Amino acid sequence: MFSHLLFGSPFVLTEGLYTGNLLFTAFCFIILMGLIKHFAWGPLSEMMDKRANKIANDINSAEKSRQEAEKLAAQREEALSKSQDDASAIVNRAKDTAKQQGEQIVNSARTDAQSIKNSAQKEIEQERKDALANTKDDVANLSIEIASKIIQKELKADDQKALIDSYIEGLGKQNAR
Amino acid sequence: MNDPVSTFKLFGLTFNVGNMISVFVTSVVVFLLMFFLSRKLRLVPTGKQNALEMMADFTNNIVKGSLDKDTSRAFSLYAFVLFFFILISNQLGLFIQLTYNDVSYVKSPTADPIVTMTLALMTLMLAHFAGVSKFGFKGYFSNTYLKPFKVWLPLSIFEEFTNFLTLGLRLFGNIFAGEMLLSVIMNFAFSHGPITMVIAVPLTLIWQGFSVFLGSIQAFVFVTLTSVYISQKIEVEE
Repeated sequence: MFSHLLFGSPFVLTEGLYTGNLLFTAFCFIILMGLIKHFAWGPLSEMMDKRANKIANDINSAEKSRQEAEKLAAQREEALSKSQDDASAIVNRAKDTAKQQGEQIVNSARTDAQSIKNSAQKEIEQERKDALANTKDDVANLSIEIASKIIQKELKADDQKALIDSYIEGLGKQNAR
Repeated sequence: MNDPVSTFKLFGLTFNVGNMISVFVTSVVVFLLMFFLSRKLRLVPTGKQNALEMMADFTNNIVKGSLDKDTSRAFSLYAFVLFFFILISNQLGLFIQLTYNDVSYVKSPTADPIVTMTLALMTLMLAHFAGVSKFGFKGYFSNTYLKPFKVWLPLSIFEEFTNFLTLGLRLFGNIFAGEMLLSVIMNFAFSHGPITMVIAVPLTLIWQGFSVFLGSIQAFVFVTLTSVYISQKIEVEE
């Protein structure tokens, strides 16, 4: 058996170096390699690659969706605080408007009341003046009648009236004082 | 140990029948094992697939140990098949030894130098082929034989032969010695009747266990050296 190892010797070659077995072994091995590649190794490495890709993709997409979730949360937070701001602004504005309107109403009421008061005063004054004037006329006529009846003196009505006017004016001044 | 063998001649080549049967049986066993393990592959591995992936990862890691990522992918199938072919070859003779008329027909094919030499030759041819295809013939020649010093050319050429011989003969020697000792124990068992048989049983057990270990180690060493030799040819020497 060790004689196989003496490669150089032609004597051994004739004895029986199984050169055919070299070919046969190589042939078997190559066929075996082909079969294993087709039936086991190919599908297996394909599956392993697929898995590696899937894991990488899953990690990437998880990262992406995490970032998206974070973004959404930030957006929501922002929207929330914004809506709070909006709400308080609306309330403030409403308050201001209400205040303004109230003031306006009060002011207009005040001015209305003032004008009503003024006109009432004017009216009163007018009526007072009218009443005074009527009274003045009545008193004058009465005085003339009284005077004409009492004195029985022919007196010109106009002269008499001027006299009494001046007298009543002096009376009015005393009243006003 | 010049066992008789049955041979025949074809096209001027000598064929050893026992050896051929052994190689064929080994190939069939390896193929059936891989075929069985690789049925119903899933994205999420279970049972058999886990085992197959562990085996593939094991040989892939051997190759990755000495080659870069792209090259290791190219040689991973070769390493895988080589490892399990040698592993099954080494174990085959421990379990089955069919002998007919003193001619053994099924034994470890790696206990025959022609098989281990074939494997070594294939490995080295592959290594040289990878070197040539990477650098072109000129680059391959200067990288392999003229570096680091041109005067080492004879030494480098000689080294290629020693690589070849040591790679093949290491495997052959280990397995052949294991089988030889096993058959010696077997002869001893049948030499003096039942007493020696009883003594031989534990001896056989121990030696078979050790041979299983040895065969696995040798398969690992062979594949590791294969990837080392390939890496020597395709890496630029400083």
